[in-house]
Amino acid sequence: MNLRSWTRLALVALVALVAQVSVLDQVVVHGAHPDVLVLLAAAGGAVAGSQRGAMIGFVIGLVADLVLPTPYGLSALTFVLVGFAAGAVRALPGERSSRGLQVATCVAGGAAGTVFFEALGDLLGQPGMLDRQGAVVMLVVTVGALVLAAPAVEALRWVVSGADRSVTGHAVPSGGSATR
Amino acid sequence: MTLLMLVLASITVLTLDYHGEVSHGITHVRNGVRDVLAPIQRGIAAALHPIGDAFAGAFHYGALQSENRRLEQQLGSLQAAQAERAFAARQAQSVLALAGLPFVANISTTPAEVISAPTSNFQYLLEIDKGTGSGVGPRMPVVSGRGLVGTVTGASGSTATVRLVTDKSSSIGVTFGTGRRSGSAIAGGQGYGEPLLVQQFSGPLPSVGETVFSSGTDGGAYPAGIPIARVTSVKVAAGGLTTTVAAEPLVDLGTIQYVSVLEWLPQP
Repeated sequence: MNLRSWTRLALVALVALVAQVSVLDQVVVHGAHPDVLVLLAAAGGAVAGSQRGAMIGFVIGLVADLVLPTPYGLSALTFVLVGFAAGAVRALPGERSSRGLQVATCVAGGAAGTVFFEALGDLLGQPGMLDRQGAVVMLVVTVGALVLAAPAVEALRWVVSGADRSVTGHAVPSGGSATR
Repeated sequence: MTLLMLVLASITVLTLDYHGEVSHGITHVRNGVRDVLAPIQRGIAAALHPIGDAFAGAFHYGALQSENRRLEQQLGSLQAAQAERAFAARQAQSVLALAGLPFVANISTTPAEVISAPTSNFQYLLEIDKGTGSGVGPRMPVVSGRGLVGTVTGASGSTATVRLVTDKSSSIGVTFGTGRRSGSAIAGGQGYGEPLLVQQFSGPLPSVGETVFSSGTDGGAYPAGIPIARVTSVKVAAGGLTTTVAAEPLVDLGTIQYVSVLEWLPQP
């Protein structure tokens, strides 16, 4: 990723943070709200691959941790793994840069990331994790992801487009490198 | 390799957050971010509350469908206006209720508006529009016209975070009944939408419908006498070894918009 991509990532993270705390946090369904930041981490992996997905996840996670009451770094650790895992989907045989697959990976990454966040939080002694409400949270985040995943993928495609033409619609041949 | 380095970096950040001085630094940064975001949150909250009410009013209009579109539109507009007036009346009522809180005695209060729902899906916290700049600080109790809302857990210059009584880490010493029929216990939060769980009784059990108040004896975390919840069920298991008492918070924590912060700190 070059400087332009990092600048774009910072801008996307900032806009997402403001949208999260000012709008999405108010959309409360059974005590849970959608989470666009975990989706950006998953979209990072789905669009840019494992290595860069992990880096994007780390940055987005540090930004998310700024407004969460949980220990600083918990989201960063979660999102690193989410970004990496979402990127691993690109290594599967088939069309890697298909938008549909990227959006589906993003939705699945959001759900998996929520569960992983709960598990890590529980491990660190955070209250209210991995219980019945945890299942509600995962459901709400997943439903929210169905709406938010496509914009998240588009935002991440824009972020990495300056550094990697393969994500702008030029598919990398199977077995080829995702980076140039 | 990248993954390993990033995981280690994340774990390092996590570890540092548990370290005293670095943790203070992180808290300062988080407070700074809150201060920056507060005006945006305040603006959005101010915009969304009345619009939501007006839409709610229009949404329930269905039963009164009129014969033609013009009348329908007129009625819709009237209903929206009515919803707005009802909203304004409710706001005024909430603020007036805060003006004469009977249970705070001579404790000074700082009125505040809720500007954000919980930022975390796992902890039940609210963001209010008053912070250290208005004399609001950590550990101060927060009440509404009906009773206890929670405790301030952190404050920046212009905002504060309030942990609700229903949060799982919330634990309050409570008392109930009068005279020889009085008892005390501990009420703990059980998470979103769940009643408080009252346990560790000293004295008789409360009755269904009875109100529990802060006892002021749980290390002095709250002043005594603040109404907290109404007992909704008392279940004694066979043999009487296990008693489960549930109590519903008196304050509707899902829709609360105005609160008062008591300028009162627990005794050291």
